[in-house]
Amino acid sequence: MPEQILRIENVSKRYGKKEVLRGASLTVDKGDLKILIGPSGAGKSTLLQCINFLVRPDEGRIWLEEKEVHYAHKRDLYAYRQKVGMIFQDFNLFDHLTALENVRIGMVKVKGMAKAQAGERAVAELERVGLKEHMQKYPAQLSGGQKQRVSIARALAMDPRVMLLDEPTSALDPELIGEVLAVIRDLGENGMTMIMATHQIAFAGSLASEIIFMEDGRISERGTPEKILFQAENARTREFCAKIAELYGEKR
Amino acid sequence: MEEWLYLQNEAAPALLKGFWVSLALIFPSAIFGLVIGVIVGVLRVYGNRPVAAAANGFVVLFRGIPLVVQLFIWYFGLPYIKIYLTPFVAAVLGFSLCSGAYHSEYVRGALLSIRRGQMLAAQSLGFSKVRMIFSIILPQAIRRALPGCGNELIYLIKYSSLAYMITCVELTGEGKILASNSFKYTEIFLIIGACYLAMTSVASVLLSRVEDRLSLPGFEHHRI
Repeated sequence: MPEQILRIENVSKRYGKKEVLRGASLTVDKGDLKILIGPSGAGKSTLLQCINFLVRPDEGRIWLEEKEVHYAHKRDLYAYRQKVGMIFQDFNLFDHLTALENVRIGMVKVKGMAKAQAGERAVAELERVGLKEHMQKYPAQLSGGQKQRVSIARALAMDPRVMLLDEPTSALDPELIGEVLAVIRDLGENGMTMIMATHQIAFAGSLASEIIFMEDGRISERGTPEKILFQAENARTREFCAKIAELYGEKR
Repeated sequence: MEEWLYLQNEAAPALLKGFWVSLALIFPSAIFGLVIGVIVGVLRVYGNRPVAAAANGFVVLFRGIPLVVQLFIWYFGLPYIKIYLTPFVAAVLGFSLCSGAYHSEYVRGALLSIRRGQMLAAQSLGFSKVRMIFSIILPQAIRRALPGCGNELIYLIKYSSLAYMITCVELTGEGKILASNSFKYTEIFLIIGACYLAMTSVASVLLSRVEDRLSLPGFEHHRI
């Protein structure tokens, strides 16, 4: 029996009358890489943001390592978020801090680590994503790919149990996508548990433990990459996969 | 010649004394005003509903009532409830509160300009709201608020001249006394005008130094 990291049950979210998420359920085991695909507006981002309560779900329950998250209790919520790393489409590095300070600040201000010790860890994490020589630069001085790698280092420094990646390469120039995917691939190979929304179908096909197709706020089909990409049951899934394969994938 | 002697022997010492009183009014008022402005600005944007409403009410009051009237209330009104302030303390109190109300508006604008993504990132790392405001939001917002707050500090230098209305005799007050004794209104007030101009000029040089000092890549002012 693999170790369960995250369990999400029946998570729903409405904005006014619009239901953006209608009862999504998901179980993530240690070392899994779950890839969320689907057209924009399908609810992928909302699902990821509901998982760490950046968006408050209207319904649903979430368990981390078999313990239910009581997100109305602030201290529990802050403790939980430390264990769930989040990577955003537009990086969201802290603009007034250098790369090093960006990675260090969570350890110092949230975990209460000593500055020197946190600094050492921050340097190590930046080295891991290949940015040690850029650690004194401010976000405005970094390329998009470098910014995204700093944000990955920042999340890793908190020792997350699971990482949520919300289209981490969608805002990048084509030639910068590779360097970010390489870092994510490396994380996967080292056993990091991840849920990632992406249109990088070739990447998904080669690394995903499961691909989840979302549409209209629902999980409409799920399965191994082989199944979803080549033998999907649902016509809509097949159509969507064909379209993004043409745009982002390698020709097979 | 006679005129020169008057200015040198009578006017200059009195005006200098007034000048020091003005500085003594301006410095604490500037500091208290900034502190009040930051606190009130943060409460207006991030406070819960009653707190934000109270902070908004503060601004409505202290920005909406003429400063002279506020000073009269602090100095002549408070004794009715057995609170006696010296003219100097009443003036600093009035200036700080009024200045704070204006600063809060600049701070509020700067806070609202910080991208939501900065907050999402902080929350996703497990920051509490208070810690996020102090570590992430304010350091960025202060840099954006600085030009506006500098404007308010320049204003403060000039409206410090209202202190003489509640018998705190500063630069303008000394000038008024000198001028009504000697009838040399033009000469005296030209000198006083030059003194204020000098203070505001020095202040604006210092403020732009501070802006440069705090400037970071991504926060610089692009001078076209």
